[in-house]
Amino acid sequence: MGKATVIPFGPQHPVLPEPLHLDLVVEDEKVIEAIPQIGFVHRGLEKLVETRDYNQFIYVAERICGICAFGHSMGYAETVERLMGVEIPKRAEYLRVIWHELSRIHSHILWMGLAADAFGFESLFMHCWRLRERVLDIFEKTTGGRVIFSVVKVGGVVRDIDEAQFAEIKRVLEGIKHDYNQLCKAFLKDTSVKNRTVGVGYISEEEARALSMVGPFARASNVNNDSRCLGNGGYADLADFQPIMDTQGDCYARVKVRALEVLQSMDIITEMIDKIPDGDIAVPVKGSPVDGAEASNVVEQPRGECYYYARGNGTKYLERMRMRTPTSQNLAGMTKALAGCDLADVNMIVLTIDPCISCTER
Amino acid sequence: MTVKTEYLITTIDAVPSMAKRRKEDGWRFVQLLAVNTEEGIDLIYSFMKDGVLQNNKVEHVAKTDSVPSITDEFLAAFVFENEVHDLFGVDIRNIAIDFGGNFYALAQSEPMTIISPAQKAAREKARQAAIAKAERAKKAAAANAAYVVDHPGAKPAPKSDGVLIKPSADGVEEKLRGIDPEKVARLRAAMAAKARKAAAANADYEETHPTANPVQPKQESNISDELEEKLKGMDPEKAEKVRAAMARKAAKEAAAQNDTAKEGE
Repeated sequence: MGKATVIPFGPQHPVLPEPLHLDLVVEDEKVIEAIPQIGFVHRGLEKLVETRDYNQFIYVAERICGICAFGHSMGYAETVERLMGVEIPKRAEYLRVIWHELSRIHSHILWMGLAADAFGFESLFMHCWRLRERVLDIFEKTTGGRVIFSVVKVGGVVRDIDEAQFAEIKRVLEGIKHDYNQLCKAFLKDTSVKNRTVGVGYISEEEARALSMVGPFARASNVNNDSRCLGNGGYADLADFQPIMDTQGDCYARVKVRALEVLQSMDIITEMIDKIPDGDIAVPVKGSPVDGAEASNVVEQPRGECYYYARGNGTKYLERMRMRTPTSQNLAGMTKALAGCDLADVNMIVLTIDPCISCTER
Repeated sequence: MTVKTEYLITTIDAVPSMAKRRKEDGWRFVQLLAVNTEEGIDLIYSFMKDGVLQNNKVEHVAKTDSVPSITDEFLAAFVFENEVHDLFGVDIRNIAIDFGGNFYALAQSEPMTIISPAQKAAREKARQAAIAKAERAKKAAAANAAYVVDHPGAKPAPKSDGVLIKPSADGVEEKLRGIDPEKVARLRAAMAAKARKAAAANADYEETHPTANPVQPKQESNISDELEEKLKGMDPEKAEKVRAAMARKAAKEAAAQNDTAKEGE
């Protein structure tokens, strides 16, 4: 047994795209304990709600994160709609689901690319991002933006998608399916990839429950807390939604869950496009939230469940807006997964929770 | 179907037992948040089970209060307890992973409890506006009451019927005499424009009552009968434009005359 040493990991580290710091207590090559620290880029966006009215704040909300931008704007809008008792048209709900699932596809493929980069498979990384580009093109055509869409507003959505664009979305998704399946084969069947993922960073089902984990990180340990099952908005009309689950609880299972979720999202989009009703895309929202009114809501973002809370004060400015992002919920799970792993596996485990520190530090 | 939300009230002392009960009943910890209010800080603990999102609220936590941690039951809460401590200054004791106030690298301590100067100014402005509005309403009500007392037989305030306002010609002339000539010219031009507008809106009325407007501005007389005839035969929109141009010209001339009169003085 060697002497315990503390190795600082991050906030600047080649494998981390974002500033997360870990104090790794190691003995020989084994990590005994990992203590995470964030707080290097705290932006105070929740404070900003005091000086931006509830219609303006949606643009702040979607800038919390570049990957889940749509999820945040949708979650914020849904919460304020609950706060004010607004019911939006069905078509708007369906359009939100379509864009949100497209966001999930682009987020998961982006993550798969980063994971490939982390275990040293650079050409796989490039192939992943090449496919993601096709999804970004859909966003550009339907919303005008590639990262920040500004397409949701309180009371509905700003833009409609016409039949020709729906047909194109279906065609593009069908077109990338073959290439995507090839990628999945590399991630799930390749021996050199499996050497880095199978059995690494194991979390049992009991631990996952005890640590209140969310998102694909929890689903890989057979814990179903997919908020889409709750049937918020357009998700209520899905014919048969079964979350993708796995029982292995290691890095391989997390890769698998995300890989399959992309295909599931493609199916959801196709179903929504086939079912979408005609009608308005927004309702006018007037007045201000009532003093002391409260609303809370959860939205299943690509990284997991995100919680929103809003409180009104009788003016057009909200008293409090809170977003609890999936990464902050998964930090405890991450420390658990890191305890007992090899030092060389730390980057792989950190990546498989898909950390988004920008989200966490609103 | 959608997510159901519940809001319950609890106390600081009941927090550990609440967490223990939720854990035993199989609830999942969702989050902990704080809200800065004038009476203190509200803490909201959220749990979820079977599609029910339960928010347990501890109201008005004071700076002197110490809140027990729930990390013994739900380790995931350590992030939020450190956050609440750093951003709101709530004292939380026995956090499993306690950063001792160094979780966030902040330039200010307890930033979420600070009310910014801009916010303060906005609140003060809103308050002043509300007071001023109340005062105005009060004044108007008082003036109205006084008028009613002074004029017991007075009818309610007349409302403009949108056809023609007919002040007595003498009264207006009387008033105009006491004003600066330059201003008078402008007033006359404005009056002419108003009369023209009314005339266009109610052409029939004008036709049947050619002398309806008692304050026939001088400039109007520049329009000869011949021109009037022509205008009647024209497209009404165009006629309106011609009239406007004529009125402007007349007003200009009147102003020029006033200027020369002034110079003469």
